[in-house]
Amino acid sequence: MSLAGALAGGFVGTLVLTTGLRLAQVAGLTRMDIPLLLGTAFTEDIRRAEAIGYAVHFFNGLLFSFGYWLVFEAVGQGGWLFGTFLGLVHAVFAGGALVNVLLPAVHPRMGTPSSDAQEAPVLEAPGFMLFNYGRYTAIVTVVAHLAYGAIVGAFAAGL
Amino acid sequence: MHRNGYPPIGDYAVVGDGRTAALIASDGAVDWLCLPDVDSPSVFAAVLDAERGGAFSLRPSDPFDAERRYIPGTNVLETTFRTAGGTVRLTDAMTLSPRGRLAPMRELVRKLECLDGVVEIEWSIEPRFDYARRIGWTSTRDGRVFFTDGPDALTLSIWGAEPTASGRLRLAAAEEALFSLAATHNRPAVIPGRADTEERLAHTTSFWRGWAADAQWEGPWRDAVLRSILALKLLVFAPSGAIVAAPTSSLPESIGGARNWDYRYSWLRDATFTLNALLALGYFDAAHAFFWWFMHASRLTQPRLGVLYRVNGSSRIPERELDHLSGYRRSKPVRTGNEAAKQVQLDLYGSVLDSIWLHADSHGDLGADTGKATAKIADYVSREWPRPDSGIWEVRSEPRHFVQSKAMCWAALDRACRLAERGLIPDRRQTWRPGANAIQAWIEQHGWDEELGAYIRAPEDRELDASLLTLPLIEYDAGRDRLSSTIDAIRERLGAGGPLLYRYLGEDGVPGDEGAFTTCSFWLVDALARVGRVDEAAALMDDLVPLANDVGLFAEELDPSSGEHLGNFPQGLVHLALINAAVSIRDAEERR
Repeated sequence: MSLAGALAGGFVGTLVLTTGLRLAQVAGLTRMDIPLLLGTAFTEDIRRAEAIGYAVHFFNGLLFSFGYWLVFEAVGQGGWLFGTFLGLVHAVFAGGALVNVLLPAVHPRMGTPSSDAQEAPVLEAPGFMLFNYGRYTAIVTVVAHLAYGAIVGAFAAGL
Repeated sequence: MHRNGYPPIGDYAVVGDGRTAALIASDGAVDWLCLPDVDSPSVFAAVLDAERGGAFSLRPSDPFDAERRYIPGTNVLETTFRTAGGTVRLTDAMTLSPRGRLAPMRELVRKLECLDGVVEIEWSIEPRFDYARRIGWTSTRDGRVFFTDGPDALTLSIWGAEPTASGRLRLAAAEEALFSLAATHNRPAVIPGRADTEERLAHTTSFWRGWAADAQWEGPWRDAVLRSILALKLLVFAPSGAIVAAPTSSLPESIGGARNWDYRYSWLRDATFTLNALLALGYFDAAHAFFWWFMHASRLTQPRLGVLYRVNGSSRIPERELDHLSGYRRSKPVRTGNEAAKQVQLDLYGSVLDSIWLHADSHGDLGADTGKATAKIADYVSREWPRPDSGIWEVRSEPRHFVQSKAMCWAALDRACRLAERGLIPDRRQTWRPGANAIQAWIEQHGWDEELGAYIRAPEDRELDASLLTLPLIEYDAGRDRLSSTIDAIRERLGAGGPLLYRYLGEDGVPGDEGAFTTCSFWLVDALARVGRVDEAAALMDDLVPLANDVGLFAEELDPSSGEHLGNFPQGLVHLALINAAVSIRDAEERR
């Protein structure tokens, strides 16, 4: 498996994932806005947060593709199909633990059940499988991550 | 106050944030709000269907009297309810947030303060998404009530009572309660805290005070002029600089009638009135922002200009009827979009060229590209002015040779010549000046009726038209003392009692009657001042200004018999005409 291929796949995959989620947002399928969620961890200025969030998201995309490459190497298998399977695991992790549990724990401006709203405005928490951001958010998230996984797997295996 | 489901149109006040606006009745009901933008679908539309439109009511449980005002120099509304048990003050605002702070995308804040005694308050919030086509989902989490529908979500926060979609609370003297209705679209919601909500409310009040204090107006009718410019500011769509004609749709021009139009768009025709008013009061940035917005919005169609545009610059505005809404006091149909976008209206070219002239005159420069585009528009007018059109009133009958349209074409070519003379646009005066002269000759020959002693609506129907009161405003004068005579004839034959005027009496392709057109009365004041009849103008202005509602706002029309406001509310054109009339009187008095 090629590390360079996996990283290139991570770059392209993140482009596809981000664009797909954005299109779903514009189409009214979800209110999830990953760049906003990530960026507001660093600043409360929403305009700056969007820009920072895109950068962080791309960095994360590359980081995850490195993780994918490690798995490919460990099991001695890659390709788009296995990448798609990892994408599914990735989506469930992202929706179930990463964004729902870990992000509110470290995000200074995201609400949790124990938030005291007297203090500061907080971002609406995503809820399990991001359900708070709209009924179709989970489906959109899974589909986007399947695409990401397929692209990383294909690139790592040299297409 | 609501009676049989609907308050009079003049019973409403408006609050807004430069992106959207809410209508609030004197009994505390928010009956109209579109989110996230002024031309988005409504979430509250009880003003167009009391039963299913959706509203946010907040009022004393016991019988009450209400008195209200805007906090001076602001667009923050204050309603004082008096009951047998006590007095409570409700402050309403759509908040503006300090730059760089995390805040809801849109937020309506409603603050209750008990001034004396004990008052029981009841509230009910029933959002109905997409013009009341959908109810959405209601849930409670994180101590808030969420109303969601696809990409839209409303978050209701209440401090001082249990967070529920409807309920009651009791306030004793010096106690307070705070409601925040935060909205989001396509994004996670930002859930406000009490301290920052209070801070935004204070910031909003402070912003409006500062903004109004910038108005350079020491002339007469100061309160009315300031209220008008504040109302106008609510019609400015801040992200683009566009100015909508009104924040509402389908408020009827006659009760039960079909003259119900969507005004949540920006008409190029209003450009000259807008720039005149904003520049006269010293709001140069807003004037130039509007100028650049309409030059940019019309870029794709220039030299042909669209009649109206969406606030985002799109010219695709299909007209649709919302059959599921019963209309204000059963005035159907309720419409969204506006078919007038497809019409040919030649008058708007005069407005646009005059605006370019006003911008260049105050700014000193135009830029090479804008100069070339302007010259091409003038060339287009030189070719097209002999065509019939639908005119300033957007008649839906066959196009005609409206005299006012011809006069505006004359103004277009006259301003092009002025701009060329200053070297601001390519010089094609050898075409434009003869064109302007030809239009003037046409008007004097075909647009004048000796028997009426007035310029007429069109040679095809020799009747009067109050839009001809704009001729002195655009400095059209053939030097034959015909303007003053036209003013008298319009006043006599189109008079609706007192200072009111109908805009015309002939047919316009739409069934039914309408009220007196308030803008025309202010144009009458303006015209009188400009032809030197200043005392008459001032007296008429004194009669007109008190016809505003209790918070100083005008709808498009007034019912001559009852004085009731009719049509979309508040209407920018009326408030622009009010400001410009006051400016003309001041200028005329300074010349005396």
